[in-house]
Amino acid sequence: MGLTKSQSESLSQRVLDLVEADGANVRITDSEDLQLRYANNDITSNGLVDRIKIDLSVSYGKRSASIQVNQTDEETLKAAVKKVQAMAKLAPEDPEHMPELEPTEYLEPKTFSEATAALTPEEGLARIRPVIEAARTAGVDSAGYLERSVSSATLANSKGLFVYQTSTGVDYSLTARAAEGRGSGWASTQVTDLGDLDLEPVGARAIEKALASKNAVERAPGRTTVVLEPAAVRDLVSLLFWGLGRRDFDEGRSFLNGLVEEGEAPVGKALFGEKATLYSDPQDPAVPCGVHHNGLPREKTSWVDKGVLKNLEVGRFWAQEKGISPRPFPGNIIMAGEGKSIDELIAQVEDGVLITRLWYLRMVQPQSLLYTGLTRDGTFAIENGKVGGPVKNFRFNDSPVNILRNIIASGKQARVMGSEGSMPMYVPPLLVSDFNLSSVSDAS
Amino acid sequence: MHRRDWIKGTSAAGLALITNRWSATAAEAAGLSDRFAGLAEMALNKAQSLGASFADFHLMQTDKESLFVREEMVQGVNAGSSLGCSVRVLVNGAWGFAASEEISEAKITSLVEAAVATAKGQAGWRSQPIEIEKLPANVGKWELPIEVDPFTVSLEEKVERLLGINRSALGAGANYCYSHVSMVRERKWLANTFGSRTEQSRVRIHPGFSITVVDQKKGEFASRASMLPPRGAGYEHLRDWDAVAEAALAVEQAREKMAAPSVKPGKMDLVIAPSNLWLTVHETVGHPTELDRSLGYEANYAGTSFCTPDKLDTLRYGSEIVNIFADRTADNGLATIGWDDDGVATAGKEFPIIKDGIFSNFQMAIGQAELIGREGGSNGCSYADSFDSFPIQRMPNISLQPGKDDAVTTQDLIAGVEDGIYVDGNGSWSIDQQRYNFQFTGQVFHRIKNGKLDGMYRDVAYQGNSVDFWNACDGLGGRDTYELGGAFNCGKGQPGQVAPVSHGAVPGRFRQINILNTAEESGKKVASLDPVQSPSTCDCSGGGKTSWA
Repeated sequence: MGLTKSQSESLSQRVLDLVEADGANVRITDSEDLQLRYANNDITSNGLVDRIKIDLSVSYGKRSASIQVNQTDEETLKAAVKKVQAMAKLAPEDPEHMPELEPTEYLEPKTFSEATAALTPEEGLARIRPVIEAARTAGVDSAGYLERSVSSATLANSKGLFVYQTSTGVDYSLTARAAEGRGSGWASTQVTDLGDLDLEPVGARAIEKALASKNAVERAPGRTTVVLEPAAVRDLVSLLFWGLGRRDFDEGRSFLNGLVEEGEAPVGKALFGEKATLYSDPQDPAVPCGVHHNGLPREKTSWVDKGVLKNLEVGRFWAQEKGISPRPFPGNIIMAGEGKSIDELIAQVEDGVLITRLWYLRMVQPQSLLYTGLTRDGTFAIENGKVGGPVKNFRFNDSPVNILRNIIASGKQARVMGSEGSMPMYVPPLLVSDFNLSSVSDAS
Repeated sequence: MHRRDWIKGTSAAGLALITNRWSATAAEAAGLSDRFAGLAEMALNKAQSLGASFADFHLMQTDKESLFVREEMVQGVNAGSSLGCSVRVLVNGAWGFAASEEISEAKITSLVEAAVATAKGQAGWRSQPIEIEKLPANVGKWELPIEVDPFTVSLEEKVERLLGINRSALGAGANYCYSHVSMVRERKWLANTFGSRTEQSRVRIHPGFSITVVDQKKGEFASRASMLPPRGAGYEHLRDWDAVAEAALAVEQAREKMAAPSVKPGKMDLVIAPSNLWLTVHETVGHPTELDRSLGYEANYAGTSFCTPDKLDTLRYGSEIVNIFADRTADNGLATIGWDDDGVATAGKEFPIIKDGIFSNFQMAIGQAELIGREGGSNGCSYADSFDSFPIQRMPNISLQPGKDDAVTTQDLIAGVEDGIYVDGNGSWSIDQQRYNFQFTGQVFHRIKNGKLDGMYRDVAYQGNSVDFWNACDGLGGRDTYELGGAFNCGKGQPGQVAPVSHGAVPGRFRQINILNTAEESGKKVASLDPVQSPSTCDCSGGGKTSWA
């Protein structure tokens, strides 16, 4: 179940003791994953996998190099140190190389659960079995994946910095499919503590959507009022964060450059709608995350407050260049919600579409942060404040900037999985106007 | 295109490269070759004694090296190696799998026990037992032929080559430039209860760059990425690339793109270069014809497919000139290998996916062919991306074959278009979970007017339905226009696995394809203008590989 703190200290010190370079950082990750996968209502591939990774970077002045190995014997470690030191000596000087961080204080991690770590393959199978049996009873095919991870992550450096964090988590999602009528439904959950894991309601939601989405009809594409369930919201919101770098803006190659006049700063401006509030907090009990990013401490950080951009991510070198504090990339994202149920959001819509989740999101145009992707596994018409019949899926082309500008109302936050990335996110369903449904997809 | 120069059974040649490797893991790997037989016997005997009807034992070592240069600063010098083993068992019709980086008799015993326990944990509630075909016992060694082992080339040489790219781009006026190269060596040992004992080694390399030009006053920027694909090749792939010339051309093209008029959306004829079309082949033909997807095994992640078994030999997937072929034996192919990760020999297993426009076969791993009543068993498409990954069905090299007339050039295809676009380089890509609706961009969009290139467009994406698209193909380049594209990072499976795969293609002409204006899609009001006539910055002369001279 991962290296203990003293084992990590001992191993990281063993590595650092071998290093003769001016500076060194060593990161050790050690994990044991239980992977249970099924399809057509039977277990398919599965596994119990343990692994360790030692990532060492060394520097001579502004020359540096890094190496990764996954064996801890003395011979491998010595060879790795010798190799990486030789590479660093040969590397040209990097004017932007930053020295190792000084030891510092970090928030207390909240990411570990003994119960999750103790989950056995037998117990995992026993939890999945009733969900599969429910699918069989309902006459649908289900495919799903449960992954339990337990891990430790250590960072130590030649200046005496040492930080150790253990984490656990269970990710579970399933897709239920009705052969007749081509219905498809999906649901998911993501927890840190096993006590919060309840698979059967998740399975029931997917089955219900599969049955309800049979015989979907085509609805005309176009800019549409939509209710986005949390899985769709998390994908769209997370895309915004890939564009929130201070350096890209300063260099003129960010979507933010198109939103402000030349010479104007984006921070402090109301770039989004008033209902958009986004922050990160490593200790949030709903979505705890890593307390540092490459050694930079993470703290509670406001990114967007009632539509106003509050902060940008800043790397260490760029912070030094600009005379400001660095700000690490967040480890979680929390979006404030208004606490409404999805039904209450739907009740506000005269004519629109309910979207369960999105798929294959890809950047189309970085200048406007335009992304494309598709709806999937449960897309329904909304008519006169109620869920109507199933409609065929859509391709969308839109920017998270537009979505955060067009929020009409929001619901109660949930922690679910998305299609892109597994960062813990706690987001509400959103009622959004003018979502650009670009074309119809025959996928079901 | 399909030279089969295996080095099977020649152990000295098979291990020749090892002598130049860098770390103690080299010694470890060499030692593993000696230890492998004993460990495998122990693992397989243990599995059978615990009730396994089939078992296999895998060892895998992956070595990587990557360099990254930003402008004239070398910011990434990285090496890495991972090593580990796995055991897969079939017990009472259920799979079990376990893996570890620790390679010891005690650990392997515990892996076998864990794998068997997981398989037995499914007893009593499986609806269908997993059944696999009997495979021949394959014994031997195989190595991908390369000219220069990239792991033996000096760091200085590699760094200087990347710096040369960036200097060229900056000298031509780029505001920013990244260049990079990634190199991978995979070594695999496989033993199974059918009697197979194989040892394989292959190398791949991916060099590239991206340049950006910025207009601070307008708040605009444009980028252009390199078009050299990754290959199953040695350092010669980077060495022989005229990247300095392409970097300078890329800057010129990015500037032209930034100043170009925005495209008017609607139906247009397209000529698509192999540098773009390989990815369209991948997404609209490669993934839909994976049998595991079609049968629902990927339903919760990658999706299913419009290509269902009932459409075999009947679906008109493309026009009559469209032939798409699959193999794991092509020269320099990223999916090329001697035996797949189920132990199936790949030579002789090549197959057409689309023959004269008709859907002809699926990609299959072990245990799948019988599910659709197909004779001949697996066609060698199993792959595990790491020592700790369960082998699943992955893509072979899948390639669009040249048209019947070898004399047809890219210019000939362009000459047949009155008003259209010549698309070069791959950009953004997205497709639905059953592979109907796709949308792609590119790097450069040359306007075609009256059969000739005439300036550029910006803000272009093409969107359509896979089967409609291939049926709209009415022209293909000849043999001399064939190029091998590909990617290191095709994703599939839960947990996610990435596979390297190549796709050969010739340029193709497609009639009346839906063009989107991406600026309009983002909500901007755009005035579409005719392009200013300018000398073309395109060299679409075709040839065996992209040439930007």
